[in-house]
Amino acid sequence: MIFEWIRFALCAVCLITAMICFTAAVLGANRFGFIMNRVHAGGVGDTLGLFLVALSIILGDGFHMGELKLCFIIIFMWFTSPVSSHVLIQVEYFTNPHLYEHVRREDREALTEEDQ
Amino acid sequence: MNLREWKNRFFRWLDGDYDVMANIMEGSLEPDESHEKVKNDRKAAHKELTSSGFSQAVIDAERKGFYRIYIGVAIVSCIVLIGVLLYTVSLLPKYGQENPRAVEVSDRYIERGLEETGAVNVVAGMILDYRAFDTLGESHVLFAALLCVMILLKKDKKNMDSRFDDYYQIERDAYFDVSKDSVMRKVGMLIVPCILVFGIYILLNGQNGPGGGFSGGAVMGAGLIIFESAFGFELVDSFFTAKVSMLISFISLTFYCFAKGYVFFMGANHLHNHIPKGIPGAILSGGLILPLNIAVGLVVACTMFGFYSLFKRGSIGGV
Repeated sequence: MIFEWIRFALCAVCLITAMICFTAAVLGANRFGFIMNRVHAGGVGDTLGLFLVALSIILGDGFHMGELKLCFIIIFMWFTSPVSSHVLIQVEYFTNPHLYEHVRREDREALTEEDQ
Repeated sequence: MNLREWKNRFFRWLDGDYDVMANIMEGSLEPDESHEKVKNDRKAAHKELTSSGFSQAVIDAERKGFYRIYIGVAIVSCIVLIGVLLYTVSLLPKYGQENPRAVEVSDRYIERGLEETGAVNVVAGMILDYRAFDTLGESHVLFAALLCVMILLKKDKKNMDSRFDDYYQIERDAYFDVSKDSVMRKVGMLIVPCILVFGIYILLNGQNGPGGGFSGGAVMGAGLIIFESAFGFELVDSFFTAKVSMLISFISLTFYCFAKGYVFFMGANHLHNHIPKGIPGAILSGGLILPLNIAVGLVVACTMFGFYSLFKRGSIGGV
C-alpha cells in the first residue's frame, strides 16, 4: 500500500515538473525576443519535458511493451532535437550580421576585435 | 490616425514598401532597396511595349474581345457552380438524421471487409480495394503537383534572371550548407537508416495495422531529406536523379493502373481474378493491397524529396 503511494507521488512529481518544463518552453518560445533564447526554451521542452512525461508514465504504469516504444521515442528525440537546435543556431550564427549586439556588454568588451 | 492614412499604409503594404511587423518582430528584413529599381524597370518595359502603335492595337483588340468573353464565361460558370452545389446541399439528409445509404455501405465495409479484401486493417481495405480508383487519383495528383513545381521552380539557363547571379555565388560557396557539420553527419549516420527501415515497415504493414502507402512514403521521404541535409546533395545525386524519380513514379502509377484495372474489369464481369488473398495477418496477404501500398509509398517518397530538392536548389539530381 505504502509502496503504491510512493509510486504515485513520484509519478505526480515527474508529471508536474514536466508541466513546468513545457510551460517554460511555450512561454519562452513565444515571449523571448531573440532566436537563440527561443531555441533554448524550446529545447528544454523537447528533451527534459518529454523525458519526464515518459518517466512518469513508466512509473505509473509499469514497464511493458508500450513503454519500451516510449523509450525509443525518447532516444530518437534526444538525438534529433538538440541537433535541430544546433543547426538552427548555426544558421543564425552565420547569417546574422548584428549578432554581437545581443552579447552582454561586459562580455562584448572582453572579445577581441578579431572575434567581432 | 484617420482613414486616409490607414488606406495609404495598406496600399504601401500591398506594394511591399511598408513592413507592418518592422517595429514588433526582431530581426525583420530591411526594406528592399532594389524594389524601386525593379518597379521602374517594369514601368519602362511596359511603356516600351505600349509605345508602338501596333502592339497597342493588338492589346486593345485582345482586351475588347477576349476579356468580354472571359468575364462572361466566368460569371456564367460561377452561377452554374453555385446552383449545382446548392441543389446538392438540398438533397443531403438533415443534420442528425440517419442516412440509410451511408450506413449500408459502412456496415458492408466493417462486416465483410476482412472476408472480401483479406486485409485486417479495414481502412487499407477501403482505400486500396473498394475505393482504389480514388487512391489512384490521389497518387496522380501528387505526381502532377511534382510536375507543376518542376515547371515553376526548375532552374536552367533559359529561365535564370541576371538577378540570380548572386544565388549561384552563394550556392558555389556553400554559404548555407550545413552538410559539413560533424554533429549533423554523425547523427544522420545513426538516424537515417532507422527512419528508412521504419518507413519500409509502415509501408509493408499497411494491410495489418495502422500505416500504409501515404504515411510510409512520407516517413521515407523525410528520411531522404534528413540524409540530404546531413551529407549534401552530392551523395543523393549518386542514386536519386530526376530520371530515377520519374521512372519510379511512372512504373508505380502504371502498375497501379493496370493491376487495379484488371481486378475491376474481372469483378465487373463476375469473373474470378487470379490474385491470392493469403492468410489475414501475414505480411503477404490482402491480395493487391501490399503491392499497391508499395507503389503509392514510392510515389509519395519521390514527390516529397522532389519538392524539397526543387525548393532548395531548383533541380532534382543535378542540373
